[in-house]
Parts: sequence; C-alpha cells; structure tokens
Amino acid sequence: MKTPVMLDVEIEARKKPFWATLMKQKVLLLMSVPFVIHTIIFKYVPIWGWTLAFQSYWPGKSFFEQVWVGFDNFRWLFRDPVFYQVLRNTLAMSIIQLVFGMVSSIILALIINEVRWTFFKKSAQTISYLPHFISWVVAANLVRDALSTDGGIVNEILMKLHIIKEPIMFLGIPELFWWIIGATHVWKEVGWGAIIYLAAIAAVDPNLYEAATIDGAGRLRRIWHITLPSIRPIIVILLVMNMGYLLSSGFEQQYLLQNGRVIDYARVFTIYELDYGIKMMRYSFATAVGIFRSVVSLVLVFGTNYLAKRMGQERLI
Amino acid sequence: MKRKSLFLLLLIVFTVTATGALVSAQGTKVFTMFWGEPLPDYPGSTIVGDIIERETGVKLQREGLVGDLETKVGLMIASGDLPDMLIAAHFTSLFKDAGMLIPLNDLVEKHAPNIKRLYAKHWEQLKQEDGNVYWLPIQAIPYGPDESKYPELGFFINKKVLKEAGWPVIKTLDQYFDLIENYMKKHPRINGEKTIGYLTLFDSWRNFATTNVPQHLLGYPNEGEFVPVLENGKYVVRQYHTSHAAKVYYQKLNEMYNKGVVDKETFVMNYDQYIEKISSGRVLGTFNQYWQVQEAQEVLLRDDPESILVPFPVVLDELIEEYQRDIPYIQATQGMSITTACKDPVGAIKFLDYIIREETQHLIQWGVKGEHYEVDENGLFYRTEEQKKLFLDPDWRRDVFGGPYFYNSFPSLRGIDQNGNSFMPDRQPNLIYSDSQPTEKEVMDAYGIKAFSELYNKPVDKKYYPLWTITIPAGSPAHIEQTRMKDILNAYVPKMVMSKTNNFEKVWNEYVKAISPLMKEQIKVYQEQIDWRMENW
Repeated sequence: MKTPVMLDVEIEARKKPFWATLMKQKVLLLMSVPFVIHTIIFKYVPIWGWTLAFQSYWPGKSFFEQVWVGFDNFRWLFRDPVFYQVLRNTLAMSIIQLVFGMVSSIILALIINEVRWTFFKKSAQTISYLPHFISWVVAANLVRDALSTDGGIVNEILMKLHIIKEPIMFLGIPELFWWIIGATHVWKEVGWGAIIYLAAIAAVDPNLYEAATIDGAGRLRRIWHITLPSIRPIIVILLVMNMGYLLSSGFEQQYLLQNGRVIDYARVFTIYELDYGIKMMRYSFATAVGIFRSVVSLVLVFGTNYLAKRMGQERLI
Repeated sequence: MKRKSLFLLLLIVFTVTATGALVSAQGTKVFTMFWGEPLPDYPGSTIVGDIIERETGVKLQREGLVGDLETKVGLMIASGDLPDMLIAAHFTSLFKDAGMLIPLNDLVEKHAPNIKRLYAKHWEQLKQEDGNVYWLPIQAIPYGPDESKYPELGFFINKKVLKEAGWPVIKTLDQYFDLIENYMKKHPRINGEKTIGYLTLFDSWRNFATTNVPQHLLGYPNEGEFVPVLENGKYVVRQYHTSHAAKVYYQKLNEMYNKGVVDKETFVMNYDQYIEKISSGRVLGTFNQYWQVQEAQEVLLRDDPESILVPFPVVLDELIEEYQRDIPYIQATQGMSITTACKDPVGAIKFLDYIIREETQHLIQWGVKGEHYEVDENGLFYRTEEQKKLFLDPDWRRDVFGGPYFYNSFPSLRGIDQNGNSFMPDRQPNLIYSDSQPTEKEVMDAYGIKAFSELYNKPVDKKYYPLWTITIPAGSPAHIEQTRMKDILNAYVPKMVMSKTNNFEKVWNEYVKAISPLMKEQIKVYQEQIDWRMENW
C-alpha cells in the first residue's frame, strides 16, 4: 500500500514547479492560444484530407460513398516516368535557387553594410529589393522581352560587344532553363533576402569591430572573422527552414517562363500536380503527390537540423 | 465571392420567409444563377434588362466567375451549395454526374413551347444516355446558318504580299511559302524592323494553332486531335499526328526555319508577344483560327490597313478538295441547366422560354426597333451610322445597353431567321460587304468576293460534327493518355522544326516512336461516341 502513496507524493512534488511555472507564464500562454488554435484548424485539420489519396475521389459524393483504392495512387506515381523527371527538375532548381539566392543575399548584405554613405546605402537597398514586389506574371514578361532574339536587350548587348554573332534563343535551350530560373530568382529576391542579414549584422556588437581594428584587422578580415561568424546562426536557421521548401518551391516562375521546347526541364511538382492531377479532376492523385512532398520535406528539415546539431551549430527544433 | 453568395442566399431565404413563396409583393420572382464567365456584376439597370424584368417579372441574382472555373466547379459540387440555374462551360456535365441537375424533358413539353420549337432540330443531340435532356446549349440554329466575313481558320497572309504578287489564289503549302519567301527577299525590313516571314503560335493550350494543321492540309475542318474518316459507309476515327501530311508540314516548317523565314523565337513566345508581332504589320504569314488573331487584325485595320491578314484554305496538294469551314453545329455537351436546388423549376423554364423566343433575341442582339436598328422596305434590319457608332463602344454595349448580360451563357439563337435577317448584327448578310473597311473591300474586289469566307468551299454536312465536342471522362486512362500525347507534341514539335535540316529525319522517327503508343485509348473513346452520335443524332 505504501508504494502508490509514495508515487503520489512524488508526482505532487514534480507537479508543483510545473504549475508554478504555468501560473507565472499564464499571460504568455494566453497570448499564444489563438495561434495554436489557428495552427490546429489550418494545419492539422486539413491532414484529414490525406484520406483522399487512398480513395478514387469523386466530388459530390459523401465520404462513405467514395471508392477506396489503397496505395494505387502512389503506385501510379512511382511508376510514372514523368515523376522522376519532375523530381530531378524540382530538386535541381530549388538547390540552384537556394544556394545562389542565399549566397548573393549574404554578399549583398555584407557589401551594403560596408558602405558608409547613407544615401547611397538606402537607395541601393531599395532598388535591389523592389523587384520582389513585382508579380511573376509581369516579371516573366520582362524576362521574356529581355531574352528575346527579336531585339531583346541581352542579345543586343552581347552582339554589340561582339561576344556572339547570332542572337541566342535563351528560353529555347532546355539545358539553360534551370540557370535562367536561378538567375531571375536572384534578380528578383536578392535585395529582399538581404534585409534579414542586414538586420542580423546591425545587431553585432561594435566593440568587436573596434577591438579587431586595434589588433590591425582590415575590412576583409573584419568581415571574415567578425561579421560572418556573428550571422552564422541566422544563416543556419534560414537554411534549415528553406530545406523544407525544396520540393514545394516554384510554380509561377516556371509556369510562366516555360514553353514546349524546354518542358522536360521546366516541369516541377506543382505544375505536375496541376497538369496530371487537378486539371484532370484526379484529386486523389494530386493529394498523393502532395503527401509524398510533405513526407520528403519533413525528412529534409529533420535531416538538416540533425546535421546542424551534430556540427554544433544553431538549430531550429 | 463565397461570402457574397452566402449573403445572397440569406437574402433569398428572407424573401421566401417574408412572402411565403418566391414571389415578392410586387410579383417579382428571384432566381439565382451561376455562369462560368468572368463578367462584372450586373449594373442593376440596363435598357435590355429593364424590359426583360418588366415583361417576365423575374429578377436574376447572378454570380459570375472569379478565378479558375475548374476549381470553382469542384468546390460547388463538393459543397452542394447550388444556385437555381447554372452553366459551367464543358464542366456542366459534371453536375449531371453528381445528380444535381433536373431533367428538362417534361418541363419543356408542358411549359416551354418556344424552347420546344426552336431546339426541335437539336433535341435528339441533347439527350443523354438516360434519354433525358439536362441543359440548353447556348446557341440554337433553328432555321438556316448565316455567313461570316472571316472563315473560322486559315493560313493568313499579309495583304502587302498578295498585292505585290498580283492577287494570286493560294492553294498549296509550297505556293504559300514561296510567296512569303520571295517577298521577304525583296523586303528584308518593314517599318524599319526585321520582316518576320512566318509565325506559328505554340503558347501552352493555344498550341493547337500549330499541331492541328495536318488535318486542315488534308482538307478537313477543325475536328480536334483526331479525324473521323468515312470508310465503307462508317466513320472511322483516325489519327493524323504521324500522317504523311504531318511529316511534309513539319519538314516544310523545318526548312523555312533554317532559311530564317519562320521566326526564331516562334516556339518560345507567348500569346501576347504573338499578337504584338502581328499587330506591328511585319508578319507575312501565320496559321490560326480567326478568333485567335482577331485582336491583331482589329489593330491592323485601325493602324496599318495595308498589312491586314487575308485567310486562304491551304492544302497539301492541289488535288485535295478542301472542306475546312465549320459545319454549323451547336455545343451539345454544355449549356444552361436547372439544379435540384431550384424551388420553382416551372418559373425557371418559363423564363428561359421567354429569353429564347425570336422577339427577345432581337431585343438582346439588335436592340429596340427604331432606336437601335431600323427595318428597310424588304423587312431587313440595318443600323444607321449613329446607331453603329453606339455599338462600337463595348462599355456602352455592356453596361448601358445590357445585351451581353443576357447573351453570353444564356440560350440564344444564331443563323438566319425566317425573314432573312441574321440574329447576330455583325453577320447580317446584306451588310457584310457594305460595312467592311476600304482596305478589306480592296481585297474582296480583287478576288471578286463579298466576304473572305467565300474563298472557301461550302462545308459538307456530317451528322456527328465536330469530334472535339466529345468530352473524354475526367481522370480516365484515355484522359491520362491524352495529357501524355500533348506532352510529346509539346516537346517534339519545336524539336523537329528547330533541328538541323539533315537531322530532321532522325527527330521525326523519334517523335513517331514516342507518340504512336499514346493514341489507342483516346481513339476508342472517340469511336464509341461517334458511333453513338451517328445512331442517335
């Protein structure tokens, strides 16, 4: 009879600090309640919709009238040769965007940070992040015009510089498509991406720079030994977060810039879901593709997070 | 939009509870309606709308399309939240599949004499497998077909080329490209910019402007992806994508591409760029359906009348007799329907019956007699210069006159009526030539015709026509096959045209190998449907 009593006491003892902390933080907790509810409603409840992937879903019928097909949709997906092409394209373009996007943003942030003339600094920053606010629908037309063989500015400049003799049809070369996507992504997002790094750089203790200067460190040395290590946690966290989007990134950009000639290199998951799923009323199949993407994203996020932890870096979870 | 429709629904519920029926104090009935087109909200009062409201006592609560129709239809079906009447282009049949539409046969028989009379010719075509009719197609042709100034499709050629060559009649593909090539050699630049010999449109779903051509080169009208061929008294569905005509066509484009006649970026430009290039007046030729180049043609008529496009029925060989014009048909697979949510189907069908009768059609399409059109001593309608000017302003036409709010998506009449008037003002037979612009008249005079469509043969009747209105069941193996086939066309057509000339044969063989296994299922579905149509229409 003694043991349970002992346990009760133990639990009581353990509970106490928990309840005490809870009471102390009740305002914070109350503040977070709406967000938790929001997350549950919009992020967890829709997971119920995953049941679609195991049905041959037809709209208008109730849940109990649907035909269940087990893993047929997934089997179809993995047997589809287009799927592997899509996987390759999505990964390739995402990685190109991630690497070049992050590197260019960090470099821009470092450069802008070194500028001392405030007016130039501000205007450079504004000009570089403005393209972010243009919709891809407009931006894609700008890109098409710039790369056109019929008086496009890129071809004109290259011809005037005698680098090429004939205009090159950039958007018609399949192997080039990934890099055009990468380059236009950098153009559109570089300034926007730099904002967060600039904020992180602003938070670096100026004493460190002073100390380094006294020790005789030049500009590049200060960047290398102080600025970069200081913003490393931010870089790692952003990297881990972006890993989750590797398979879901890209729709408008590819959709609007693609054409028949480059389709084999342009089709990404979102376009695949649209063409082979929603447009054909194969909602179940589209859901199956979505589940595949979610699972892979989860693995990627946890994987990178684990690696970051192993390497003693800042981590997300 | 969702909230708006909910609000409307509430409003109607209130009206119902307040009056006990769908009839309010003034005797006005209210019907909710969804149409699959992005038209702005009804302004509340228009010339046509007010007359209709006064005569029928019906007020419509409309919901137009916002965003993507496919998604909207999916949502409506999944939620079961329906208006009284709806039309959703070729997705209308999905509502029938979900059991959400009511059969119209008995309603029409008892309450709608005009619908019965005017759709009589088409009635058998409208019957579904269960023998019921669920929708009224947006256009009925009760009497005879009418004529239009421009044919539905053609190899268009710049007027300048024709004029310089002394107005030749173009019959074959070789002849067409020879004319263009010669003109291009003499005039490498037009208006200071590089001349573009030939453009072919390949932008996403519009790429049929390139891939449909082989069937036309063999003399067929627009059937779609496949062509039914009369063999031994029966229509057999055949493919043309790997036909001899296709090979000759793509080879010709390849040759012309390598000679610089076909624009270098024709396969990467989008529709906007296509229209922009043609509007500049420096494009010498393009194949398309007229509605896809109409926008550019209108700009040319206004800004550069000497560069307008003239259509020709070009074929592969001069021995081929062409029948490229559409046989007048109705879109039997879609139309206005009444849903199970409608409380007063009799009232709804009576309203549609009022809309379709000739008097109302004249009101919607021509306007009020003496105000928007006149009648001459032979009973033929015409418009004075001032009246014409009014109708040239699309904003006035839509928001003040209001006809378009009762025309698009609604059941309507097309063709010639019993008095020889066209239901559509711009197809009035006695006015096509006289209302044409001087530059158009110059071409017509040179060829001795009164409309460009007269350059074409009269179509021969085919009971099933056309194949493309057959809907392949969503998500079926045939549907997946179709998407894959279009993928192959997307990838290989540019490849074939843009390859080096000595490489063409190799790419063509690859293409044939890739596309050949991707047509069996579709042909099966089309064949079944064609057979069904031949038996039941």
